[in-house]
Amino acid sequence: MAQLQKELTVLNKLGLHARPAALLVQMTNRFSSEVTLRKNDIEINAKSIMGIMMLAAEYGSTLLVTAVGDDAEDALNAIQEIFNRKFEENDEGEE
Amino acid sequence: MKVADFLQLQKDRFKLCLFTDEHTLQSQIINNEVSRPGLVLCGFTERFAFDRTLVFGETEIVYLESLPEEKLKSYIEIMCSFDIPCMVVSKGLEPPRLMIEVANRRGIPVLGTTLGTQNFNRMLAGFLEQFFAPQTFIHATLADVYGVGLLYTGPSGIGKSECVLDLVERGHRLVCDDVVRIIRVGENTVVGMMNEKLGHHMEIRGLGIIDIFRLFGIRAVRSRKRIEVVVQLSRWENNVQYERTGLVDLTTKILDVELPLVQVPLVPGKNITVIGEVIAMNHLLKQKGYHTAKEFNRRLLEEMQQDRYIDELSE
Repeated sequence: MAQLQKELTVLNKLGLHARPAALLVQMTNRFSSEVTLRKNDIEINAKSIMGIMMLAAEYGSTLLVTAVGDDAEDALNAIQEIFNRKFEENDEGEE
Repeated sequence: MKVADFLQLQKDRFKLCLFTDEHTLQSQIINNEVSRPGLVLCGFTERFAFDRTLVFGETEIVYLESLPEEKLKSYIEIMCSFDIPCMVVSKGLEPPRLMIEVANRRGIPVLGTTLGTQNFNRMLAGFLEQFFAPQTFIHATLADVYGVGLLYTGPSGIGKSECVLDLVERGHRLVCDDVVRIIRVGENTVVGMMNEKLGHHMEIRGLGIIDIFRLFGIRAVRSRKRIEVVVQLSRWENNVQYERTGLVDLTTKILDVELPLVQVPLVPGKNITVIGEVIAMNHLLKQKGYHTAKEFNRRLLEEMQQDRYIDELSE
């Protein structure tokens, strides 16, 4: 059982709106680990789409991702990957 | 909380004005304590709780104005030598000129209010208590079922939202889904509140995001509710011992407040909604003094006692 953390930056021009939030939540739900996201002093469960949207994480904001569980490392890597790929969006917010 | 923010946002509600200069507004109120200055106005500084918001009523102002200049200067200087976050003069009265001067020099804001002292104290204490209340966010769904605040917890995807959706369908009310903001009020109460950003939306897997308020109306929602029972949903597991009699009252803690806990295993085909309603109703019964399981057992013990008595008599 591992607990790992990573700081990630939102690279999407439009921030974490509904579409990327849905992609992220589909990703986090694939892993058995508990995953949380923290922006400033609010921490939410990253397996819940409402939680992610409540963060209102804009372009350039930094989020702290924490994964606790047997597949924590895989979870973090997968999340980092999806962040880096800007959730498959171009600058206009299209896929 | 910066006094500047307090003044700006609560000016109308608390009928406030400012006596000192603007630079004093940078001072920070650091706790929810409000009190009268007390004996420090006579120079008695031992046990002076200076980190509180001090309210000066009619008694204090009349006293200060009755002092000869030298004494007034001395006592004000002594009082203001402490790091007082904020002073307020009530009843529309004006503080002595000297007090404003010294406060300005020390960076202590002096506000005024037209409200009466008792009223202002009560209002401010209530406001600060809420502002400084310990708070947390938890991943859960909060519903008001028959007036009882039920907090549904459990792993993601287990069905908390769907459960509460069904409760709403049956006439109960949703406070908040997914991200519940919880604050502690006083020693023994926790209140769950909705977030303005999320409103009364709910995520139902397969369906997506729905707006309970728009779909079901005003009577299906509420903004905040005292949390009274925690309902923990879990996937049914073979080797776990579930509560069979209800004689043991399980509890859990949120923000250091102990709350009744009910663990409900989910089994396909079982109606979870009515279980939620019964949890609420049972809670109300217990509050009335009727503990079903205990009553049942008491009667059982009595009956067994009776039978044994009869057996012994007939020997």
